[in-house]
Amino acid sequence: MTHAQTDTASADQPVTVGAGREKLDLWICWWVLPVFYTFFGLIFVLLAHVMPPPSPELSVSQILAFFHAHGTTIKVGFALLMGVIGLGSISNGLVAYQMKRMSVRPVFAYGYIATLAVGAIPGCLFCAIFFLVAVFRPDRNPHLIALSYDTALLTFVGSLGCFLANYCVFTLAVLLDKNRVFPRWLGYMGVWQIITELLAAPVFIFKKGPFAWNGAIAFYEGTVIFVVFLTCLILQVRKAIGNQPADELVPD
Amino acid sequence: MLQDVAPSPATARAGRLLGDLNVWIFVLGDLVFFGAYFVIFMVYRHQETAVFLASQRHLSLIAGALNTMVLLTSSRFVALAVQAARRGESERARRLISYGGLFGVAFVAIKAFEWAHEIGHGFTLVRNDFFMFYFMLTGVHLFHVLLGLVILVVANRELRSPERCRSWIVESGAAYWHMVDLLWVVIFALLYLVR
Repeated sequence: MTHAQTDTASADQPVTVGAGREKLDLWICWWVLPVFYTFFGLIFVLLAHVMPPPSPELSVSQILAFFHAHGTTIKVGFALLMGVIGLGSISNGLVAYQMKRMSVRPVFAYGYIATLAVGAIPGCLFCAIFFLVAVFRPDRNPHLIALSYDTALLTFVGSLGCFLANYCVFTLAVLLDKNRVFPRWLGYMGVWQIITELLAAPVFIFKKGPFAWNGAIAFYEGTVIFVVFLTCLILQVRKAIGNQPADELVPD
Repeated sequence: MLQDVAPSPATARAGRLLGDLNVWIFVLGDLVFFGAYFVIFMVYRHQETAVFLASQRHLSLIAGALNTMVLLTSSRFVALAVQAARRGESERARRLISYGGLFGVAFVAIKAFEWAHEIGHGFTLVRNDFFMFYFMLTGVHLFHVLLGLVILVVANRELRSPERCRSWIVESGAAYWHMVDLLWVVIFALLYLVR
């Protein structure tokens, strides 16, 4: 591959991370990653109270009380999400761009973007929309409000399977890549993600215990593994940009 | 470009880590995550000891013990394959890996039979917390076995052409397969044996 040869040549003169303004565009895109996920954490944890999730066993009156207590922060949080959700696409685009530098065909990069779009709709947007419906239409039938609550949290945790194909694409691309854009261990980590996605599926069945949507395995362990993976991914993308020759041409 | 940590032939002759550091990161991380599953299992078991003990009696100890033997035998074949690959006996190594893989397939078949038997008698995922853990833990482990079979096929292909043969791939596959084996021994002890 052409860029494999370029990479080998660059090994003699390593480009220091952050050096030079030639890659300013890439560094701007990279900063979107930590900024977006900081917003994501702020919105879902502190404002919308989706993480850690409230109990699946709440009664209808308790659900109404939950939305009443957190109505304002849910509105502020998810209004903010509508503004920043697009940043997630830039983050994914940057990872896909690095995947196009791999020796594998660009179909993996296209697959990476498309499969994340499939996952983000139920895994992120549905939750925001159903919570917003519940807090903006408090005069509706309480059972419909309770249905919004169930739908929001079931899709948020239970739809993780929609990301399964994404992690398969990522893992396979990293392992097949001969240019070593990302280290192999990052690819193997994708397998952990695949397993946590599978373990989140039973949230539709269980309302309590480790496999409920607020359970020790389905939610907490899965979230820890996701945060570990995401941190490693963000740092490795930074390293990949740093190692990338400024004049490298990535084919379309 | 990024440093590739796969051992070079020169370091392969010296004392070194078996396999590839990347795989060891994965294996150790996986053991930590499974360790957390086991701790969570023990916490729930402690809360519902009577239910867990009563449910455990419905598991087939014979099927569990048989699967333990099958997986240990499989691991033995794969360990012998690594030794053969190191000596450059590619054909023998391939044959041994194939035997290891066949025992792996036997494990899947026995597990499928066991699950079908239990589900047929009404012991499903939603029966109680014991069977919830039983199906989820053995299910995640089964996923690891299936992935391991794919890895054994890759290792076998790697040995097909001696000039392309990278022994660290065979060693890495073996490290993963032994982890699958180790996890099963713990799962067998926790689900089938602990009284």
